Amino acid sequence: MKDTAITLGHGSGGRQSADLVSHLLESFGKRGIGPEMEDAALLPGGYAMTMDGFTVSPRRFPGGDIGHLCVCGCANDLAVRGASPDFLGISLVLEEGISPEEVSSYMESAASTCAELGMTLAAGDTKVVPSGAVEGMIITGCAFGQIRTPRTLSMSSIREGDALLVTTSVGRHGAAIASARFNLPVEGLLSDCAPLWPALSPLLHLEGLRCMRDCTRGGLGTVLCEWAEASELHFSLDEDSIPVSFQVKSLCDVLGFDPLYMACEGCAALAVAPSDTEETLRILRQSPLCGDAAVIGRVSSAEPKGMVSMRTSIGGERLVDMPWGEILPRIC
Amino acid sequence: MPISAPSIAALLGKISRTPLSVMEVCGTHTVSVFRSGIRSILPPTLRLVSGPGCPVCVTDQGEIEAAISLLDRGAVVAAYGDMFKVPCKGGSLASKRSGGLDARVVTSAMEVLSIAVENPDREVVFLGVGFETTAPATAALVSEAARRGVPNLSVLSFHKRTPPAVELLAADPDLRLSGFLLPGHVCVILGHAPFRFLPEKYGLPGVIAGFEPDQILLGLAEIVRQHEQGAPALRSVYGTAVKKEGNTKALGLLEEVFRHRDAPWRGIGTIPDSGLGLRKAYESFDAEKRFSLSLLPGAPPAGCRCGEVLTGKIIPPECPLFRSACTPLSPVGPCMVSGEGTCGAYFRFYKGDRS
Ligand code: SF4
Repeated sequence: MKDTAITLGHGSGGRQSADLVSHLLESFGKRGIGPEMEDAALLPGGYAMTMDGFTVSPRRFPGGDIGHLCVCGCANDLAVRGASPDFLGISLVLEEGISPEEVSSYMESAASTCAELGMTLAAGDTKVVPSGAVEGMIITGCAFGQIRTPRTLSMSSIREGDALLVTTSVGRHGAAIASARFNLPVEGLLSDCAPLWPALSPLLHLEGLRCMRDCTRGGLGTVLCEWAEASELHFSLDEDSIPVSFQVKSLCDVLGFDPLYMACEGCAALAVAPSDTEETLRILRQSPLCGDAAVIGRVSSAEPKGMVSMRTSIGGERLVDMPWGEILPRIC
Repeated sequence: MPISAPSIAALLGKISRTPLSVMEVCGTHTVSVFRSGIRSILPPTLRLVSGPGCPVCVTDQGEIEAAISLLDRGAVVAAYGDMFKVPCKGGSLASKRSGGLDARVVTSAMEVLSIAVENPDREVVFLGVGFETTAPATAALVSEAARRGVPNLSVLSFHKRTPPAVELLAADPDLRLSGFLLPGHVCVILGHAPFRFLPEKYGLPGVIAGFEPDQILLGLAEIVRQHEQGAPALRSVYGTAVKKEGNTKALGLLEEVFRHRDAPWRGIGTIPDSGLGLRKAYESFDAEKRFSLSLLPGAPPAGCRCGEVLTGKIIPPECPLFRSACTPLSPVGPCMVSGEGTCGAYFRFYKGDRS
């Protein structure tokens, strides 16, 4: 790692985050890219496991709160690897002074999301730290579940000719948080934060289902760049077919953000063999969350390999690169 | 019904005969050009050159060093987000913030007023960066701080004026530009008058356009038309948003708070009358005075060819550091830092040199 200090850029989910993780994994003798960098680990005995920490500010945002977010984030990491969200552990680090009512309100929303998913709270931990040591609270979830698919869903299964899909319109979580943080209310803009298991589990029997990933930090753009890099294939996207809501577009216009890199918390990217693409769309659209599901591009062996390009609305061509560093609003 | 971008592009292909080099002055245009892939559908006769219109890129090394020195002296420094990553000798605002100093991202100048009011025992300095689009907000902040008598707020004004830079480029014999695509939002404030010199003095088309791809293409079509018909003029294709006289309220505010002064542009040098400093009446809000700063133009990073990139003399892939030593993650020059910088845009979107 070249950098001398860890900065917020290392937490933004783009290239710097990948660098940091590679660096941290060195001690364990693991590499940072490729099959080991999936959303959840597949364990011997048919189980999957994942962990995710949350420090969102504000803790309550349009469309959810940090408790709901924690359960969705963990459960979705399992779901995209074909594992049912069965058990959850929650660890809370609380800053002294935070109100107990506030914390229990997050636990209530976490509990109701668990109930919706049939997920059981199996373990937990709380720590209180002096004021200033964390901002309000950090909640970390650890989820454990049973793998429900006979095939391994993984980046390494992506093949030339596969279709690329998204399950719903992109960027809503990041945009909702940005609108709250920068005090730019946008009517009708809600986080997409939601559990994906009910929408994704009916796809698991499809033989052509290759790989799924929930587009969290770094958004859809980051996921596809990682896939392209790992598979050493070329991904070509069609800008017009990527669903982006009017609200997300307008907020991104104001702040100079690209919806492709805005976080989602209830949207997955899928790579599917051509033979099963139609069926995948049909099944997805039966879910109330996935009415906007769409095919957004293709995997090919064209040049440049390992990269993502996009045919723009006006018929131009350009590259889609991973975001670099902390995503900051621009000047004008 | 509005004409679609592809049909304007097709039209451009039909009317464009003489080879032309057109500069898009503004960074927002540059990014829109890249994001929409406009270059890939332009006729081969039309070359688009990216200009110096990214506020972060033209902020001088010495200016950023001055801002960072204020953090070291214990002040709260508030700035727009894209200033945070610009590196200089002393680090960057972002690295200083990681080191525990109080640098804050704001999205509007007025936020700084509340920061100052909430922290009465701290000096709070706003970095005024940008062109005529952001300068009125800084002027409003200063005027409001004066009205309310907020003693701990000051502004470090690095604001720059667009017309003197455009004139410098129009007059540059090496560049041989055939016309300018002018930024709509700047002209909403300034109106037409400050750019009339383009057709009148230099015989060049100046076309004011918005930032959507179809508006950019329409602007280019208008420049090509003027050339083919030998009738250079200052025109707006930005619709009704640009009034000929500009935004008189914003202009009045600028006039009240700022005076013109010479300013250093990174990589270009000092351009006479191109900066906005605080007037004497607002001296007590001038961070340069309050902290006795002397702004010396800083040395550009070794090997960085930002100056030539900013004036359209080379494209970023021609810089030997591009993509090797200089990447968005470890930028050497500011053109790579900013989301609107030309080097950053080439890095993220340009397919040509990768395949
Ligand atoms: S590529 Fe980097 S070093 Fe070269 S001109 Fe651009 S910013 Fe400067």
